[in-house]
Amino acid sequence: MDIERESTDLVKREFLAVLLAGFGNELLPLTSDHGDEPCPKSLLPVANKPMIDYTLTWLEQAGIKVHRPAIYHHIHSGASLSLSSLRIDLQTFDESQDTSVGTCTLLRHFSSRITEDFVLVPCDFIPSPSLPLSILLNKFRADAISDGSIATTCWFADHKPEKGAFPEEWGPHPQPSPIVWDEASGTLLHIDTPDDQDRNGEEIELRMALLSRYPRTKLSTSFQDSHVYVCRRSVLDALHEKRHFDSFREEFLPWLLKVQYQRTRRTKYARYLNPITNTTSQRLALKHSTMSKETSASNDSFGTLLSKDPSISVPPSPTDGDDDHGTSNSFRVGVIIHRASAGFAVRVNTIPNFLEINRRLLSQVTYSLPTEPKDRSLIDQKAQISSDTIIGGSTQVSERTMIKKSIIGRHCVIGKMAKIVGCVLLDHCVIEDGAKLEGCILGKNTKVGAKAELSRCVTQAGYEVSAGETVKGEKLDVSDWTAAPDDDDDDDDNASEDEDDGSD
Amino acid sequence: MPVPTKIEAPSGAPPASQPSQKSMTKAERRELQERQRAAKLAQKSVAASSNAGKEAAPSKPKAASAPSQKKSGDASGSGAAKSSLAKDASNNASAAVDDGAAKSVSRGLRIFSHFGLPKPVGHSIKGDIHPAIIRLGLLFSEFRICGANARCIATLTAFKTACPPSIFHSFDYATPSHNTLSRHLMTHLSPQITHLVAARPMSVTMGNAIRQLKLEISGSDIDMIEQDAKDALCHKIDNYIRDRIIIADEVIQELAGKKINEGDVILTYARSSVVEKILLNAHEEGKRFSVIVVDSRPLLEGKALLKTLTNTDPPIPCTYALLPALPSLMTEVTTVLLGAHSLSANGSVYSRAGTALVAMIAKGHSVPVMVCCETYKFSEGVMLDGFGKNELAPPRFSNPIKHSQPLAPTPNLEILNPLYDLTPPSCITAVVTEVGLIPPSSISSIPLALGRTNL
Repeated sequence: MDIERESTDLVKREFLAVLLAGFGNELLPLTSDHGDEPCPKSLLPVANKPMIDYTLTWLEQAGIKVHRPAIYHHIHSGASLSLSSLRIDLQTFDESQDTSVGTCTLLRHFSSRITEDFVLVPCDFIPSPSLPLSILLNKFRADAISDGSIATTCWFADHKPEKGAFPEEWGPHPQPSPIVWDEASGTLLHIDTPDDQDRNGEEIELRMALLSRYPRTKLSTSFQDSHVYVCRRSVLDALHEKRHFDSFREEFLPWLLKVQYQRTRRTKYARYLNPITNTTSQRLALKHSTMSKETSASNDSFGTLLSKDPSISVPPSPTDGDDDHGTSNSFRVGVIIHRASAGFAVRVNTIPNFLEINRRLLSQVTYSLPTEPKDRSLIDQKAQISSDTIIGGSTQVSERTMIKKSIIGRHCVIGKMAKIVGCVLLDHCVIEDGAKLEGCILGKNTKVGAKAELSRCVTQAGYEVSAGETVKGEKLDVSDWTAAPDDDDDDDDNASEDEDDGSD
Repeated sequence: MPVPTKIEAPSGAPPASQPSQKSMTKAERRELQERQRAAKLAQKSVAASSNAGKEAAPSKPKAASAPSQKKSGDASGSGAAKSSLAKDASNNASAAVDDGAAKSVSRGLRIFSHFGLPKPVGHSIKGDIHPAIIRLGLLFSEFRICGANARCIATLTAFKTACPPSIFHSFDYATPSHNTLSRHLMTHLSPQITHLVAARPMSVTMGNAIRQLKLEISGSDIDMIEQDAKDALCHKIDNYIRDRIIIADEVIQELAGKKINEGDVILTYARSSVVEKILLNAHEEGKRFSVIVVDSRPLLEGKALLKTLTNTDPPIPCTYALLPALPSLMTEVTTVLLGAHSLSANGSVYSRAGTALVAMIAKGHSVPVMVCCETYKFSEGVMLDGFGKNELAPPRFSNPIKHSQPLAPTPNLEILNPLYDLTPPSCITAVVTEVGLIPPSSISSIPLALGRTNL
């Protein structure tokens, strides 16, 4: 327990950023352990910067300066965070790789430390420059005061890879769930969860209450959830009520959406979702406002016909009690839809996405020889390096090597006559002479033997490809070595792991 | 000196695994081709008219920034080169793929440019602004809180919460000298006020309220302890809202209600919170009358008023019309009730754009015009026209179709939407305030009559 000196802040902190950094099970074998060290997803480098770097920069740009993101997995000191303006509080949550815990459980666990409105951010969401976090924050701020909205989400256009661009072994592209939203007010109305699809695979069931409240809605299956949620503190109270929910995205959020329009749920959960401290309630001002959207507050049109509300004609007093007739407390969940035309955003949670974001970032970069003389000496003159590559520091490139459209990490050693096209190499890789790599992702410390040919492979950290091997479209795990070497064919489809003598 | 050679498009690459990569890069190659073609076109047009081309480049970025008087002067000065510029501008516009869509080819407003265009909401907040003020600024700039009364109440409410408790704590160890306290509070409030003004220009009501607040702060007792001083300040803010807005509105409701008789046809323009209260109150008292709501773009506030009026029980019979229909309707009207943003010392009413037309036409038809206005809206200055001080609505309210993309600026079309206009005192029959019905020109005599130095 650290005792901090409370700085004399005149301004209360507005948002708390909660950064989720999990194992990254979808990115295996990249995130498998390297020997004994774990390679967490958040440290996976994208364009030679750890993924979490992007997220923290994004948060910083939005002005969440003095905040303490609660990271609940022990991050190695490998992350050299030079962001000294952030006060980071690491929270470890014991979980093993097999039993991955859902977000709801984690939030419930840490809810005592979260005392204000919070922003739930995954470590793998890389937004486009045209989507600063402040857009989400501003929408949340404006909606929360004027409408009683409880959360704001962000959905971005899904990028489907072309057929055959990535091999089948790398995993299927995650199907986006269909969502229903109201474009005019930017309200998220319904998410069709996989559970709903299991129950009724052919139809999407919507409530009439939803449609009578929002008659003009849009339905789409081409948007993915960014898992960035700006929520009110009171959402955590509602979370405590629903003990059996585990996944925020798949279970809790669709449930939360139903509170907006289902009358019984509203009355049941209104007292949880109502903010405890009504510090900045602008109810009186909104009643006087000439352009208020109050007309939609009387959206319970059937309700008002039947039950007259006498309190409407009473002039409001400045010391308002907690009457939530008429204005506010619509418990809306806002949504920002980020279309493909506005920029490319992606969640790096599958291997094809990882490759895609690296490719996109490459297109913005031009390669130039490193300025440090020591680094420059390592790169041979006769090496052919195209301009859209990134090469990390202290990497040695020997002569007559051809490198195109690739990202090479730090401290790599690339031998002579190697050919690397469209690959991502993490740090400390060793590529021997004459190797041919194409569309591969090599984990840390991978060794590729001489004259080996790898095409569209993903290797775990520390894997060793023996000389002369040809591998296509495989996920190479270190554990494959320990498997009994029964088939000895050097067929294309089977990466033989009987070469225990390893490299060369 | 060793130079890494540039690799062009892959040639003679092994076909086995290439097809998908080729297809991906094909799209990229097409893009590159387009870009090169556009760049070549731009170069050609620039080379053809080098002088005009050079002018186009600096004037384009200048036009993209907020227009100023000087720039519009420049634009009009270079009128001779304009015709050749127009052709290059269209070429450059199509070729400016790299420039991004933000570089609009607009020349800026010719008139009303001194009001300054509404600035977009900044994504970075400078300095320590309280979250309540940040949110309020957002609500202002998005026009969710709109209207003189609403904005004033919102500002005061936000200041109540933005009044920092810790500054009082920081004086714990020292004897609070009230001068330091009040000065500290002022310096703390100034950036917050600046942030609000940046979102939308300050209204007269906000200005009066803030002036009163500063007076209260500087007049607070020296010997009071901090918590009491803070409570006292919050009380004073509440009292201000209650006395000068809420209760004043109630008195105005009564006074104006007396002027509404059974069977009247009342005309009102856009939406005023006071007029809405008057009508609802009169209806509650049992009078049966009908209302004509006249409305105009871009804000179309009358729709909300219409909804409120028709939601009563039994509903008030209403007619909704846009401004051009006004002369036809004026023949049936018995009274005109108008709201105001502020009243100036010479009696002219500064109100939503279009009010002056309504008042003028009403006067032409000998219909009494009553402006309902609380006393805290009075401003000391004299206003002679609506051009000296005004505000422009942001262009997103000017969509021809609702919710479509805002109109892109073009070289031949600028969107101009002033929000306010000035009604001369000659068109107004009476001003209803909480101190009574007064003729507009005798506004400045009210403080004297009440025995106060200022309002």
